Amino acid sequence: MSEPAPPVAELTLRRRLPPRLPRRRGDVYVNMKTDFKAQLSRCQKLLGPGGGCTEICIHGLGLAINRAINIALQLQAGGAGALRLAANTSTVELADVLEAQSDEDGHPPLARARNNSAIHIRVCRVSPPP
Amino acid sequence: MLGDAALGAGGGYDRAAAAGSEAEGAARRRGQGQRPKEAAPTRGGPAARMSNAREKKRAKKMRNQPSSVTLSSDYGPCHSGIQHHNGGSRSFQTPKQDLYPESSQGYQQQRHPYQSPGPSYRNEQYFSKGQNRSEKERGRGGWRGGRQNVSQEMPKYITASTFAQARAAEISAMLKAVKQKSSNSLVFQTLPRHMRRRAMSHNIKRLPRRLREIAKKEAEKAVHQKKEHSKSKCRKARRRHVNLVVEFNRRQKKNIWLETHIWHAKRFHMVKKWGYCLGERPTTKSYRACYRAMTKHCLLQDLSYYCCLELNGKEEDLLKVLASMCNIDTGPTFAAVPCLSGRIQGSLVLYHANRYPEDALGPITFIWKPKDECYVTSKMRQLWIWTHPSLKQDILTELKSVFQCTEPVETCSPEPVVTFCQEKKQPDVAMSVGRKRKREDDGEKAVPLKKIIGDGTRVPLQPYCWTSQTTGVVISDLTMEILRYRLIGPLTHCVLTEALKTASVQTEMADAETELNNWWVENCKDSEKVSLHQRQEAIFELLQGISSPSEIPAGTILGLTVGDPRVNLPKKRSKALPNPEKYQDNENIRQLLLEGVPVECAHSFIWDQTICKNVTENKIPEQDLNRMRGELLVPGSQLDLGPRESKIPILLVQQPGKVAGEDRPGWGSGWDICLPKGWGMAFWIPFIYQGARVGGLQESLKHSEYKRTPHIPNDYPDCPAGVQFQEDLESILLEKFKRRPPAKRANYVKLGTLAPFLCPWGQLTRDWEVRNKAQEESVLASSPDRMSCAIESQVPCDPNPGLIIEDSQGDRVTCSQGDMMEERTTIQNLCTEHEDATSNGFFVVRSRKLLRQLSAWCRPTCGKGQRVRPASKLGQKEMTEEALLPIFKCYRRALVWVSLSLLRKGSPELHAMICVPTQEDFLQLDKDQLFCGPQEPKHRDMFKHKILKLKERKKKKNNGKALESGASHALEAKAVEEHKELILGLWPDPLPDVTSHCSRILLGFVTQGDFSLAAGCGEALGFVNLTGLLHMLSSQPADKKGLVLLRTPASLQYRFARLNIEV
Repeated sequence: MSEPAPPVAELTLRRRLPPRLPRRRGDVYVNMKTDFKAQLSRCQKLLGPGGGCTEICIHGLGLAINRAINIALQLQAGGAGALRLAANTSTVELADVLEAQSDEDGHPPLARARNNSAIHIRVCRVSPPP
Repeated sequence: MLGDAALGAGGGYDRAAAAGSEAEGAARRRGQGQRPKEAAPTRGGPAARMSNAREKKRAKKMRNQPSSVTLSSDYGPCHSGIQHHNGGSRSFQTPKQDLYPESSQGYQQQRHPYQSPGPSYRNEQYFSKGQNRSEKERGRGGWRGGRQNVSQEMPKYITASTFAQARAAEISAMLKAVKQKSSNSLVFQTLPRHMRRRAMSHNIKRLPRRLREIAKKEAEKAVHQKKEHSKSKCRKARRRHVNLVVEFNRRQKKNIWLETHIWHAKRFHMVKKWGYCLGERPTTKSYRACYRAMTKHCLLQDLSYYCCLELNGKEEDLLKVLASMCNIDTGPTFAAVPCLSGRIQGSLVLYHANRYPEDALGPITFIWKPKDECYVTSKMRQLWIWTHPSLKQDILTELKSVFQCTEPVETCSPEPVVTFCQEKKQPDVAMSVGRKRKREDDGEKAVPLKKIIGDGTRVPLQPYCWTSQTTGVVISDLTMEILRYRLIGPLTHCVLTEALKTASVQTEMADAETELNNWWVENCKDSEKVSLHQRQEAIFELLQGISSPSEIPAGTILGLTVGDPRVNLPKKRSKALPNPEKYQDNENIRQLLLEGVPVECAHSFIWDQTICKNVTENKIPEQDLNRMRGELLVPGSQLDLGPRESKIPILLVQQPGKVAGEDRPGWGSGWDICLPKGWGMAFWIPFIYQGARVGGLQESLKHSEYKRTPHIPNDYPDCPAGVQFQEDLESILLEKFKRRPPAKRANYVKLGTLAPFLCPWGQLTRDWEVRNKAQEESVLASSPDRMSCAIESQVPCDPNPGLIIEDSQGDRVTCSQGDMMEERTTIQNLCTEHEDATSNGFFVVRSRKLLRQLSAWCRPTCGKGQRVRPASKLGQKEMTEEALLPIFKCYRRALVWVSLSLLRKGSPELHAMICVPTQEDFLQLDKDQLFCGPQEPKHRDMFKHKILKLKERKKKKNNGKALESGASHALEAKAVEEHKELILGLWPDPLPDVTSHCSRILLGFVTQGDFSLAAGCGEALGFVNLTGLLHMLSSQPADKKGLVLLRTPASLQYRFARLNIEV
């Protein structure tokens, strides 16, 4: 989404963090800042022996959707058929805050909602085929 | 000579006595025999022989000894005779002595140059006692004594009386030496090990009888030395509640205790600061645990020491005056619409009236009481200003002067509540002189003493409430009246919602006679108010479904009335965890997230002082509550107080956490909770039982460091409190420095650190001003001669290659130029104002516009990994000369708050220097990716020599003084004074040009710096000079913009860091 043109009075736009659900052990939120390899190995560790998770959930939002898919596919490729993927998409409502810089214009809504796409990929281990 | 020998004898005896073998002749002899040998060089040899320290030690040991044994002078003549006779008694000259080689003899003689030809006492003694000694010993003794005697004639006879007299004197000296104790040890400590008994110091009868007398004396002395204290009472008596309260009240007279003091004192390192006793940090190892609590769980802090100032008056009166104390440039002020309506909390920096941008007073947060819709007619508003205690006095005096509130409130007051308090307070103070008591003393005479809370901490006989005749504005100081706790972290919502339950609607009084909850019953009769309460309750319930406080609009205020939190205290401490079922995606939550709490829900009864007082007074004591719990039919079941349960009005204020900058938005967000006084522990324990971890002052410092916000009062160098803080810090650090031996101190002169303990902001800005002026002049003269520093020479030769001007934004550029013109005029006006005012002060830039501009300039405009962000795209000006000039002109002596993160290794420290990298540094950084940074060449310490000289002179003088007491005192004093100024390793006071002292030009200093657990690298916060910053930025290549060098005071290594200005 493009940056909004500032109205007559000056406003500062600040983005808030997306809302998230309480985090379980197996939840992995993928971002663009952390190294790809690190995120991948984190997922592998969670799924691997001693990781303690039979299934993990990889969440990616916006730009990170690609990376989330990439991680899931890499996991599957490395898992030798023992992993199954189930992808879900959703829309996440994000809030952008407009901060007034002066005293007069306090009345525009303090925050605006904006939608962004997200993906949630469940990666679970299937029992090895007999 | 005589004395000498006796001394030796005394010493030897001392030893023998200490060894516990009194009458052992052989041992004594040995001791005597050795002693003079040792003593001889001490005496005779020049100082070179033995070190000074040893001599001193010996002197100390000998202090208590009889100095010399001398016979009275009339014995003198016969004395020599005795020696002769005595020596003569030795008739044998063994041939063995000839066996000794000549060289050794010569040596011996050389070693005893002072020995007169006559034999010493020692020799005499040898012979008077040792008639039957072995051949060898005799031979040696004979040789020693006899060697000198050989040439002398032998005595022929010996007179018994004189001989005995001489011996008597000696013996008496020896006895004296034995009786007198020479060491500092106690008697039983001098006993040999096998004679020691357990608990000798306790019971003298365990000592040998002969020592009992001395031991008794010693024991008495020890008793006298111990000072008398209240230990006389037994522990049980001391711990009795009444006595305990008396003691506690005495102890908190000087420094105010918070209500959670006892709790903190058991678990925290306490410090006395700003007139309070505060917890510095937990005694447990919890540095990282507290950080984790901030980021992942919940950290609790007691901020009750923050001071609340209340302003009452007509809205326009308040706004008109307050507008002069702040400026719209720094962000929304008191008049901002959302703040004014009472929906959100505002924060700003106060200045002395009409003195912006100089003379800052300090940062505050403020809350307007929401308007009552019912009574629109009165425009009276209530405003709370929360300040840090170190800033309070300055702000309060300034507020009083601008509002002309000079009169203490008893005379006239529009607020009946306040007069009520005051009237009650006055007789109370008169009655109990010097004793602080709660003000409701007169009613409760039966109870001897009460805990000091709230206004009990005020200084008696001093007004805390002032009014002005003209406008009717009332300023009151509500310090310690309202408690404030801060909860930080994402689990704050869980802790809050689990620990607090909203009050139930109540329409009947519990008892007719008490006034418990009568305000609440009144309130509940009004259906409108009940519905308001229910709406507040609904919003509070919604918080459970929000995972982090940062999702709620910044500064949101929610008023609430809750039940007694002690009632639903869990049995065990457990961690409140979020409940996924509560996370529903509904319209209410969305509305709360986007629009915040509606205005009417911000209303709370905490604004009403009578209600607060009622709530404080009618708190059910802990004891009663526990009794009621014990009387429950089913032990451990939920206590239901019914209508007797207290209802407490509270105020919840959202703290936005990290707002500026790009990374970690919303980090460290949380809620502040304001409570009426007296309820501190009642809320504190439930929060802890829900899994909140408690932090102290150190944690709040770290919190602000990771948020990259200035900490109060450390990072406000332009406020009086900040200046004071710096001075205190300097003296502390200097003391610490001086406690080390000089050889173990860092020599800051050699390290090129001019001010390791203090940031000389004034001089820094002054030096940059001078530099700037010099450079401007050189530009004006257009002289081609290069300046010494690369930067200054670079500034004129613009245009900068790194800046790309986009043509598509042409219109915007023009408009911005128009802006600039306008700005320039305003700035010019400001400048003239400045020049009229005192020019010695520097100030901190807080204008949002300028900071945003600077922030854009600081970012690298191109480079790998960075999206190209042309400056003009965001409506920003290009960094051209014409844009810079007005800034140079107006902000001559300004500082900018910057954050720095290190590129590679290194963790910055307090007072680290921020420097400008040279072109070569960049070249090397380009060449070598692992290049850590350049090194500062070692400086020469030109003061060391001076200090040594001074020291020597002083010593000489001291020696001279001993000789001739009439030394010139003036000279001495002068030398001492000079010495005081010169401390080894530190620059004496008039510092040279701080900017160009080192090989890299100095920009500023770090005021907070550490390894950041949040960022995972070294991070620092500090101030740089604006002029210097602009000079640096304009000369740097586009992809290296904002790169600076950091150097800690005790190191020569520079490290690269990226400079950021976050707005």
